[in-house]
Formats: sequence, C-alpha cells, structure tokens
Amino acid sequence: MELKKINFDDVNAQKVYENYLLQIKLATKQLAANDQNDILMELNSHIFESMQHNNQQNELSDLLQTLQKIGIPHEVLKPLISDKLLEKATKTFYPTDVFRALMLNVSNGLIYVLFSILYLFLFTFVFLIATKVLYPEQTGMFYKKNEFFTFGLMSLDQNRIENEILGNWFIPFTILLAVLFYGFITLLLRLKTYFNKNKKLSLT
Amino acid sequence: MENEYIEKWQSQIKKGTLSFIVLLVINKGEVYGYELLEKIKEQTGISIAEGTLYPLMNRLKLENLLESKWVEQPTGIPRKYYFLTTFGQQTLQGMKSEWAKLQATINTLI
Repeated sequence: MELKKINFDDVNAQKVYENYLLQIKLATKQLAANDQNDILMELNSHIFESMQHNNQQNELSDLLQTLQKIGIPHEVLKPLISDKLLEKATKTFYPTDVFRALMLNVSNGLIYVLFSILYLFLFTFVFLIATKVLYPEQTGMFYKKNEFFTFGLMSLDQNRIENEILGNWFIPFTILLAVLFYGFITLLLRLKTYFNKNKKLSLT
Repeated sequence: MENEYIEKWQSQIKKGTLSFIVLLVINKGEVYGYELLEKIKEQTGISIAEGTLYPLMNRLKLENLLESKWVEQPTGIPRKYYFLTTFGQQTLQGMKSEWAKLQATINTLI
C-alpha cells in the first residue's frame, strides 16, 4: 500500500505537513523499507483523523496543534525505532544494525553509568582518610613551589614528606572536599533530572 | 492536585496499567490509533501522549498480543486497525484475574 498524502487548502499548512512527513522519513531511515512506509502511513492517517475531528479554527492552527500533540518524530518514535532496529538486527545479523539498536537503548542509560562512577569516586576520599590513619606520614598534601604537588597517598620519599602542608588538618580538609564534591555531583544530577522532566512527553 | 507524591504515584499507576487499558479497549472491538486514544480519553479520562501510542502498539504486537490490518477508506486515507490475537485474548483474561486478585488484596488492607 502506498502513502496517500493529505491535501490542504492552506499553502502554509501544506508546507508544514510536508515538512513533518520529511521529519518522519528522516527519523525512520535506518529501518526496513516496509517498516518506514508503515510508520509514515500510520502517522499520516493519525494526522488526517485528528484534522477531521478537530476542525475548530483554521487549517494551519489545527494542523500545528495536531502535530504538537504527536510530538517531534525523532523523539517520540525513539522506542519504536529501537525495537524495530533490534528486530531487524536479530533477523539480518548485520553488525551495524545491532550496534545502532544498542546505541539507541544505551544512550539513555549511559548518563546514569557516568553518575554512578562519579559517586563511586567519593570513596576515594574515605580511602584517603583511612590511609591517613594507617600511614600518617605518607598521606597528605605535599607541596613545594615549582617542584611537586601531590594530594593523597605516596611512596616514602623523605624530600616530599618534609613538605606536607596540612598536618592534622588533612582529615577535616578531605571531609570538606568530599562534601563539596558530593554537593556538586548531586546538583548536576538534579539539573539532569530537571531537564529530563521538561523534555519528557509522557502521560499527563 | 497539590500533593506531588500522589501525582507521581498516579502517573506510575497510569504507566503500569496502560497496556492493560489498551488491551481492554481493543477487546471491545477493532480500533485505529486515533480512535483508541479518543476512546481511552472518553472512558477513563486518561490522555495518552499521542506519539507514545505507536511505540506501545508495536511492543504489544511484538509480544504477539495484537495484530493489525490496513483498511481502505472512502476518504482515500486508509486506517490501520488493531485487534487482539487469540493469545492476546487469553493474556487479557489472565490480566483480568490478576487485577481482581490485586484489588481484593488491597481492599483487605484498606
């Protein structure tokens, strides 16, 4: 079955519509030809039915409202495309298909993996406090102008050990750093969830 | 609603029961996408983000619960009708009894 395009009286509405179809085509171009056509036809039918039921104002604003409700093809079709790609990949065994399908699914998860790593990083501060207790001489902030700067645990090196500058302040200082770091990544996470919330097109 | 926690909880419930609702509505008769959205809105007050419907329908098809067919229309723009497979009907029966069980359990707690 072939796509039958909708005809609009308003020239601008026609342009907007054609552009939207193009966006759908671009979003689905990695899929098999019959899947591409099926998705395009189904959304086309959706636009048509929606226009039939909601002709309140003029064509253009009705169309814009309809398209806004459906959403940006590239974003709303993501789960559909990744499912279809995975289907295709398991049929064709084609590595690029598998890779593409996985990438689509992983890109959402990746950011959380990054955050887990950042949170895990916090344990290095705890570790340093422990080493300060166990190896007080070798743990600290070692600094000599224009020569070296080390924060943490290091091998026995008399020259450096003499240049430890924090002394008993090392533990409170490390705790302060940990708290600051924790605050920073948690703020980042909050910022991320805030952006997600605004982007999400889900149930209302 | 003012209580943010209830709002989030409600949205979780909607998400969790969405496929159940979709199957229940389709079980009453073949529908096309737009019609399905309208029916759900009419009968449950839930409005589904339109773009998220088709990925969901595809998932249900992959699970072999739904099937679809293109039907020519006098308007010239064909509609894609969805209907339950035999497996879909059986599954829906199972879901219904699970739902009744859950409801009974919750009621004993309330």
